[in-house]
Amino acid sequence: MGGLTQKQLRIVNQVCWTLALAVAAIPFVFPFLWMISSGFKSASEIFGSPSLVPREWQWRNFVDVFTYQPFARQYFNSLYIALTVTALTLVISSLAGYALARLRFAGAGLISLFLVSALMVPEEVTMIPNFFLIKWAGLIDTHWPLIMLPVFGPQGIMATFLMRQYFLALPRELEEAGKMDGLSRFGVWWRIALPMSRPALAAVAIITFLNSWNLFLEPLIFISSLEKFTLPLALSNFTDPYGTPLWHLQLAATTLAVLPILIVYLIAQRQIIESFALSGVKG
Amino acid sequence: MTSLTLAGIRKRFGKVDVIRGVDLRVADGEFVVFVGPSGCGKSTLLRMIAGLEDISEGELRIGDRIVNEVQPAKRGVAMVFQSYALYPHLTVRDNMGFGLKVRGVPPHERRQRVEAAAATLKLDALLQRFPRELSGGQRQRVAIGRAIVGEPDVFLFDEPLSNLDAELRVHMRSEIASLHKRLGNTMIYVTHDQIEAMTLADKIVVLRDGQVEQVGTPRQLYERPGNLFVAQFIGSPKMNILPIEAVAGKLPGQPKTASLVGVRPEDLELTEPGSGFVDARILISEYTGASSLLHVQLPSGQVFLVAHDGEAPPADTSVGLAVEPGRLHFFADSGRRAD
Ligand SMILES: Nc1ncnc2c1ncn2[C@@H]1O[C@H](COP(=O)(O)OP(=O)(O)OP(=O)(O)O)[C@@H](O)[C@H]1O
Ligand SMILES: [Mg+2]
Repeated sequence: MGGLTQKQLRIVNQVCWTLALAVAAIPFVFPFLWMISSGFKSASEIFGSPSLVPREWQWRNFVDVFTYQPFARQYFNSLYIALTVTALTLVISSLAGYALARLRFAGAGLISLFLVSALMVPEEVTMIPNFFLIKWAGLIDTHWPLIMLPVFGPQGIMATFLMRQYFLALPRELEEAGKMDGLSRFGVWWRIALPMSRPALAAVAIITFLNSWNLFLEPLIFISSLEKFTLPLALSNFTDPYGTPLWHLQLAATTLAVLPILIVYLIAQRQIIESFALSGVKG
Repeated sequence: MTSLTLAGIRKRFGKVDVIRGVDLRVADGEFVVFVGPSGCGKSTLLRMIAGLEDISEGELRIGDRIVNEVQPAKRGVAMVFQSYALYPHLTVRDNMGFGLKVRGVPPHERRQRVEAAAATLKLDALLQRFPRELSGGQRQRVAIGRAIVGEPDVFLFDEPLSNLDAELRVHMRSEIASLHKRLGNTMIYVTHDQIEAMTLADKIVVLRDGQVEQVGTPRQLYERPGNLFVAQFIGSPKMNILPIEAVAGKLPGQPKTASLVGVRPEDLELTEPGSGFVDARILISEYTGASSLLHVQLPSGQVFLVAHDGEAPPADTSVGLAVEPGRLHFFADSGRRAD
């Protein structure tokens, strides 16, 4: 090895790492590619041919998906619910997190304790009282529980604590400078604390969006009308009258369902990277 | 313009008294420096003036207004923080204009004022940069610029130079001095650094444990310290203190009540043994370039510091210590100046 320069060593090192990571990625990437390719195959070809490239491209699958059930409507449901949940969670968790981090008010400790202890209760335990609550409110077969339960449930609390931790780590002097510049308490939150918390906000946004997008148990319990379904329910509904999955439709639909997640991830990730460069009082 | 009056100011954090009754008058246009050991409450006092801390007791006037309950931004004060506290997500221009924007100053005026301040501080070329793209000295200038733009009546500085290296510090110190000359505003400045305090101040306030020990011009504090604490705090290296019994014979000008005598290292001179007011033996000599700092031991065992120009005698030499009569400081048992 004596003949290798520092630079050559570095390149060899890089190649080895890249190869190792590529191999390690196969178990994650392969099912994803298989899903996309199967979405373009006919039902019989999916299990007939192991090739990743379809013998015959079945574009029709992507049309049938929309005629089999009100898939566009269901897609829209998922989208607007996930966006609403994300927006509400961002607003509430950043406000509540800021209050817990920075305001000294009576009972702050007690509230924190109460919230944390709520995190310890498994979802299976709260499901039944929640169901009765929703039923009592007359909100069965509406989208309200799909919005309210995540926002005010354990996920909202997690988001609040995440934001609180982030706010605690922000330099106080910056907020004081804001006060000296004439900002109100709310102004300090809005114009200084929030812009500096973009990585945390992005993280909360990704997690919340994903959670809402993948929510299965709640829609299963609360939603019964087909046109109120969200995607996870809709996907499991691509079956023939005997309950056997129509794989080609299901996989085509799933391929479509993954798109928003990719988009959200790309946007949020850029936010995170960009703002890491910004953070800190001193560079 | 603006004077400042603190009357019976106190601050409690929970049960702890941090500021314990401060009375102080700052005249219009005066440059006042707060000094004192770490934890004595300099920052707290400054932050109370800024409005960042509530005043537990007492009355604070800025101009002829009582401002105890007035919001920070409405007191006509601007603060330069130790960490600079520049908004990392805003450019230099927006950092400096932020306060004006919050106050609703129209964009063209904002622009003018930011650019005028930037020109004063030689920041013109940096207006589009973000704080992370600036050097320490440049950030410091932006922080000062942000304070200037608001045209405050009073500037508050909390150890603004402590994050800079020695050379830049000297440079920024002179910039702050010339800024004060040019603007003529009242300025209050907190520092650990003796030299900063002595060079910048019209008036120094020495604080200890939340109380004022002495207020005076740098010269007054150096030449006539009001008590032992101030005597030892101002001046570097520290003043030597000796119980008066350790001196053979009566010292010139010695008052009856005096029990301690102090003399600054730079006022001591080496003479032949027996001819000074006390004898000593040289322990070590530290060569510092301009002069040497000698550690000498008195017969009582006590160690004195002597700042000595020129060739230093070798260790173990016996010497006498002489001093001009006017350079002796006498203190009573209580620590108060006695004369
Ligand atoms: N928010 C606070 N709560 C409780 N005690 C505090 C608070 N802020 C300051 N103190 C205490 O008040 C005292 C004075 O603090 P202050 O920061 O004013 O000191 P300082 O003179 O500026 O010291 P330094 O030179 O180290 O900056 C310290 O003992 C400190 O522990
Ligand atoms: Mg301080």
